[in-house]
Amino acid sequence: MAHSSSKQPKPAGPKSKTIGLLAQFDDPESLVAACERARDAGYQKFDAYSPFPVHGIDPAMGISRTRLPFFVLAIGLTGCLVALAMQYYMNAVDWTKIFPGYAFFISGKPLEISPANIPVTFEVIILSSAFATFFGMWLFNRLPQFANPLHRINRFRRATNDRFFLMVETADAKFDANRTRQQFEEWGATAIENVDLDLTDQEIPKFFKMAGIVGMFLLLVPPVMTFRAYGSTNRAPRLHVVPDMDWQDKYKAQQTSPNIGTDKEPVFLYADDRAMRAPVAGTVARGDLQEDDRYFRGYEPGTLPPPVKPVAAESSPANFVSTGGPNAQDPAPAVQDPATAGQYPGEPKWIDTVPAPFTVSEAAIARGKQRFEIYCSVCHGYDGNGNGLVNRRALALAATGQAQWTTAKSIHDPTVKVQPIGRIFDTISNGRNSMGPYRSQIPVEDRWAIALYVKALQETGIQPPAGAAVPPAAPQQ
Amino acid sequence: MHNTRPARITSPLISLSHGYVKLVPLGLLVAAIGIGMAFFFGTAAGGFRRFSFAYLTNFSFLLSISLGCLFFVIIQHLTKAAWGVTVRRIAEIFAMCTLPLALLFLPILVPVILGSSELYPWNAAGWVGEESPLLQVKLGYLQSHWFTLRWIAYFIIWGFFAWNFFGKSLKQDQTGDVKLTLKMQASSTWMMIIFAATLVFASFDLEMSLSPLWFSTMFPVYFFAGGVLGGLAATTLTALLLQRSGRVTDEITVDQYHDLAKLMFGFTFFWGYIAFSQFLLIWYANIPEETFWYRIRFWDPAWAKASWALLIFHLIIPFLGMMARTVRRNKTYLLFATIYLLCIHWYDHFWIVMPHYGYGIEGEAIEGTSGFPFSWMIDFPCAIGMVGLYVALFALIAGDRALVPKQDPRLGESLNHVNP
Repeated sequence: MAHSSSKQPKPAGPKSKTIGLLAQFDDPESLVAACERARDAGYQKFDAYSPFPVHGIDPAMGISRTRLPFFVLAIGLTGCLVALAMQYYMNAVDWTKIFPGYAFFISGKPLEISPANIPVTFEVIILSSAFATFFGMWLFNRLPQFANPLHRINRFRRATNDRFFLMVETADAKFDANRTRQQFEEWGATAIENVDLDLTDQEIPKFFKMAGIVGMFLLLVPPVMTFRAYGSTNRAPRLHVVPDMDWQDKYKAQQTSPNIGTDKEPVFLYADDRAMRAPVAGTVARGDLQEDDRYFRGYEPGTLPPPVKPVAAESSPANFVSTGGPNAQDPAPAVQDPATAGQYPGEPKWIDTVPAPFTVSEAAIARGKQRFEIYCSVCHGYDGNGNGLVNRRALALAATGQAQWTTAKSIHDPTVKVQPIGRIFDTISNGRNSMGPYRSQIPVEDRWAIALYVKALQETGIQPPAGAAVPPAAPQQ
Repeated sequence: MHNTRPARITSPLISLSHGYVKLVPLGLLVAAIGIGMAFFFGTAAGGFRRFSFAYLTNFSFLLSISLGCLFFVIIQHLTKAAWGVTVRRIAEIFAMCTLPLALLFLPILVPVILGSSELYPWNAAGWVGEESPLLQVKLGYLQSHWFTLRWIAYFIIWGFFAWNFFGKSLKQDQTGDVKLTLKMQASSTWMMIIFAATLVFASFDLEMSLSPLWFSTMFPVYFFAGGVLGGLAATTLTALLLQRSGRVTDEITVDQYHDLAKLMFGFTFFWGYIAFSQFLLIWYANIPEETFWYRIRFWDPAWAKASWALLIFHLIIPFLGMMARTVRRNKTYLLFATIYLLCIHWYDHFWIVMPHYGYGIEGEAIEGTSGFPFSWMIDFPCAIGMVGLYVALFALIAGDRALVPKQDPRLGESLNHVNP
């Protein structure tokens, strides 16, 4: 042995000690029979070795049933309690000074033990039981063993191939070298041999001792680092584990033009300093032409008045919100006069029928209702009277000065009721007053469906809320 | 090692011999009295609807047992299992009961064909609201003529499968032909797939469609887990009783009981696992169209107690009670355990079916019928009567046929089967 160079001289003593007597048998039946006789002879400390599992050897050896199941049950129940306690602590206990849990309400589920904790508990029971079975087997079998004197016997190698062995330990109360040997012969052993424990080399080599001590200290490193990280603040940027993914050779929207020169003398690839390219002048992307004013913008072709530079609208935030279409202060035409209804100064002539290819049908109204309830009802309410949830909440906040809010308009308001459908379509598309544009969220066809549904809703006879009918002259923000 | 006991059975009694001559009329008498009582008191208490619900509970209970046994037979062949050969014939006979159960399904099927919606609300004219696209989708499936056709198909398929295994096994008793075993093994493969498919849709039709708004893709597995548990319990109980009465002697060893008990233990927990999985997903997602099924069972105070009772008595007690090896090998204990499991399996079906007697299509309480409806004058005699009928069917099919496959090629291995 390489590590056995012990400096001190060993005390003089026997070089080996007989710990048992080994008998060899040629077939499993003889082994089982020998085991039965060993059991009946009163031997307690003996073991049988076979290349394969032999049925009925346990009762033949008088081995009592394993206690492993009870061990596993105990550990499994412990795992159950630990899992429940762990989850309770993590989810419901946030008042401890150090390592508090996270008492977050998630989708209204209770913080305390609930059905949501059962899967984790189940898994922990399974895991702890599996470990208990595996390591409990080690424990009960006194594993791992680093050496076994049987392995020094050449004959014993055939225990993994075609021979069967029985060993009685000298420690057994009934053991007697001569008598046991005689019994082995009676039971049909084909060979008998002493099992000797080598006493010359029992010290654990120093190298292993040192490695063990160093290993124990190394094991302390992760917890110490964890505690250190827990108690400190690190402001360094995060590690880039995969730099190729974090920095890619490409340019994203709104970035500057690539520099193909040097840092000192930059030469930008594009003269306008932008990485994005505008479409070639005079071209339109496929499907983006939208030349039909009636369908895409809701007014008769050629009726768009030349743009007038608004005088006061420059500072109006409403101008920001509503970019695409005419955005003057809503002049609110006289309701009573049908001749002027639908005439809005500074605006094109709005169409008052739905344009082709959109067609009126029950399905279209149903679609409009569905879209209305998704996009519009949050402010305007399901009945269109401007009492949606957002509106209510915002008014409540505005009442305490926490927010600025303009009441959502009722679509049953007389000034809205007289509007042609084209103008309603335009309001949905581009927004009006403090309402934002929805053309990027809602496709054209759905916007017409909503406009259609608004028109249908206006015909239901729902009354606008009292006091909502604003006098025509009053300015509306 | 494996040939220390004879492969041929020499003990004298391995059939009911003439026991069935007594059992059949006795079972039919019990059935007539029990079902008659249930019908009388049921119609008096809540009309034909009340009786229908009690009847459906018990029919589902028996059908699930038969299907569980059919599953047991198929999987025995599919896995070339040797250990269970000596108890397979009992399961085969229970599986054969699916054919006469087709006749017992008529009290449920005929009213549906005649347009009654007392049991299945989807059969009412105009039951489907315009508002619910979900119902529109199901409308094509839940039609009385499709329902009828499906059930005819189910019973033909199950009957054919059961007969395939029972008939070939009986034939093997006479000829000892090993090829029959190979044929059964070959057919068990595709039969298992079709069996699974039919079981899924049958469970939808039989019990899930009592609440046509509700849906759970885990429900068929739940039905299956309970059914196999019931089937195993019925097989074990029958084996124990046959052995006690001397109709079967030492062919069925304690190791077969041990294995059956292990399977029952496993399926007890599998049932709990599936029941909880179904509950957890619905509880966590918290979508009204799914939760109302559980709301009925947990908001009604009486049903809430019944639901907790199901958890304790169907999962926790059998799980702990069947855990130890010693009790799995104890025949006296197993006798009580299997009777207990069958009772609790019956209660499982009661828990699935009966809440819909008192609660409507959207989980709304029906005036005067809500609450926990168990009645000692209706449900109890109905259960006793139906079980009596089932026993009579078993005796009729068993006749004086051998209760153990006498010439199965794996019989010797089965007789020598030892649990380590």
